[in-house]
Amino acid sequence: MENEKQSSDVVLHLDHVSKIYGELHALDDLTLSVPRGQWLSIVGSSGSGKTTLMNIIACLDTPSRGSVVLRGVDVSGLRERELADVRKNVIGLVFQKFYLVQHLTALENVMTAQYYHSVVDESQALDALRQVGLEDRAHHLPSQLSGGEQQRVCIARALINCPEILLADEPTGNLDEANEHIVLDLFKRLHEQGTTIIVVTHDSTVASQAQREIMLNHGKLVGEQWNDEAAREEYEALVGSSSLGTFDDPTKSAKDTLSGSEE
Amino acid sequence: MEDKVYTAADLKRRERANRAMFWTMIRGAILRRRSRAIMAVIASLVGAATLFVLVMVCIVVPAQMTEEMRAYGANLVVTSNQTGATENGIQKDMVEHTTEMVRATGFGETHATYRYDTVRVNSASYQMAGINPNEVRSMNKFWDVTGSWPSAENQVLIGTDVAERLSVKIGQSITVGYVEDDAVNTILDTEGTRMQVVGTVSTGGNEDSMLYVTNATLDALTGQNGQSGQNGQSRGADVIEYSSEASGADLDKLVTNINDMKSMNVTAQAVSKISQANASIIAMLTTLFWIISLVIVALTLVGVSTTMTSIVSQRRNEIGLRKALGASNRSIAVEFYVESALYGVAGGLLGVLVGSGVAWVLIRTVFDRETSVNVGLGAACVAVAALIAVVASILPVRKASRIDPAVVLREE
Repeated sequence: MENEKQSSDVVLHLDHVSKIYGELHALDDLTLSVPRGQWLSIVGSSGSGKTTLMNIIACLDTPSRGSVVLRGVDVSGLRERELADVRKNVIGLVFQKFYLVQHLTALENVMTAQYYHSVVDESQALDALRQVGLEDRAHHLPSQLSGGEQQRVCIARALINCPEILLADEPTGNLDEANEHIVLDLFKRLHEQGTTIIVVTHDSTVASQAQREIMLNHGKLVGEQWNDEAAREEYEALVGSSSLGTFDDPTKSAKDTLSGSEE
Repeated sequence: MEDKVYTAADLKRRERANRAMFWTMIRGAILRRRSRAIMAVIASLVGAATLFVLVMVCIVVPAQMTEEMRAYGANLVVTSNQTGATENGIQKDMVEHTTEMVRATGFGETHATYRYDTVRVNSASYQMAGINPNEVRSMNKFWDVTGSWPSAENQVLIGTDVAERLSVKIGQSITVGYVEDDAVNTILDTEGTRMQVVGTVSTGGNEDSMLYVTNATLDALTGQNGQSGQNGQSRGADVIEYSSEASGADLDKLVTNINDMKSMNVTAQAVSKISQANASIIAMLTTLFWIISLVIVALTLVGVSTTMTSIVSQRRNEIGLRKALGASNRSIAVEFYVESALYGVAGGLLGVLVGSGVAWVLIRTVFDRETSVNVGLGAACVAVAALIAVVASILPVRKASRIDPAVVLREE
């Protein structure tokens, strides 16, 4: 019973996941659990494996070793089409470069996600745009929107199918400060509503908004920091205490950390 | 997620909503990316227009060739056997019977009858033919006639060789005497009928040594005007010349059919030179048409395929995004195929319009013929243009389905 509760409360679990390209270990034996409703930030320098990790969580890529369990289902061995099904049902994606279909209006871009998911509902799509404050820009093309507005359309598109996880890759990377605040406020609201949010970012301000931050270095998980003690206690009650060190010692390898914990 | 139970009405509404979204995406891709769309449409347009013009010309030209060939004289000659029913020449009812057999092949025909007799002019013998001038003129358009054709009694059209030997010109008169078959020593006779030379004919053939008069004039000259021959009839034609649209095997079959009817007492013979030339020119044109059509289809395929490849390359990120949103390879392929087919249909329709105009001008000015609107051919060209556009998209669409969203959306 306890295991069942744990699996239903842990929305994402990566178990000793590696992604290997020839000699390069883009991800190296990474283990990570994310409970339902947690806001997690993944930080690290360029080449640390953040994007590879994001692609694997988003079912855009598969691990070379280890397993990825999403909502209790191991997706590591699924075929491309099955991964696409998991992706559209479980994950909402937000990209740094927005990636809107340039020849479709804001409303049509949101409806495109509905189209590939299940059924198009214009009123729901308009409602999603209203939630991100863009109802009056619904019939504008992306080229007629500012960067901040485009990113908000992306968030509306990511949320339209009520995904379990909102996965955002540098969501504020191309935005000015004002728009960054708007997007972060949106994330806060979504988090309060119970959405699991995973944000890959360079930005310490964005990362610090999360309940939990993890740091990657050369494909290894090298550090963890909690910004919300209540969330930490809840996590440890569910998963167990973390063996990782904090960010103060980013050079500390995961191996050292693990051996330390064994002692 | 809980599974919702949908009613039939719900499912219909969902289908309708998704179908509307599908067309919204296609419309957006076409109308809001005009430059690429126009390139694809132009590629289809050029192919469809060229194909349409080519087919139109190939429909018109063989007909024109057949008609032109018919103007170069007979391709079927029927002669009297001088026995039985045609002992006194081929009578009018036998001419009609033979003509019915020729028409029964399903091909059009024109014909002319000739009755030959020997006449004497200035002590020299010549062949004179009794003809219906209208029949002969319509069948032998290549005859170079100066002056006019005989239309009244005692008017004669003479070959240029005869005119030279007699030193006569148009408007002058000659005395023509009839030389009967059993006549002896009539060469010094000077009696005869005065006939007015109304024209001269030059063909470069036997016609240059002949004299042509109307049947009535020849009847009067030979003393058969109002008289009867052996069976109470005036003498019939010696030869019927047919210019039939039939050629090759059809013409050979017709010849065999006529010759098999022994009771008709006539002999049919194909003028092989003209019929074979006609058949081989049409065969050459048809072959040429197919070769050029294949080249056009290949060029259109290359043009549309290149444009579609360019469209796919330009939309790599969008395709990656769609896949990231959960689009299957099949749904992306369907979108591109439908988009291509629409380019093909639009290009095909415009191509048929342009092709109709070009074909009209070309056929009118070069081939001097009228054309009518060919709806069937237009529809076929539009269908071919759409098919070519879809086939041309197969490789680009395969390329699109291989796009890895993780790669194209990677932000480094």
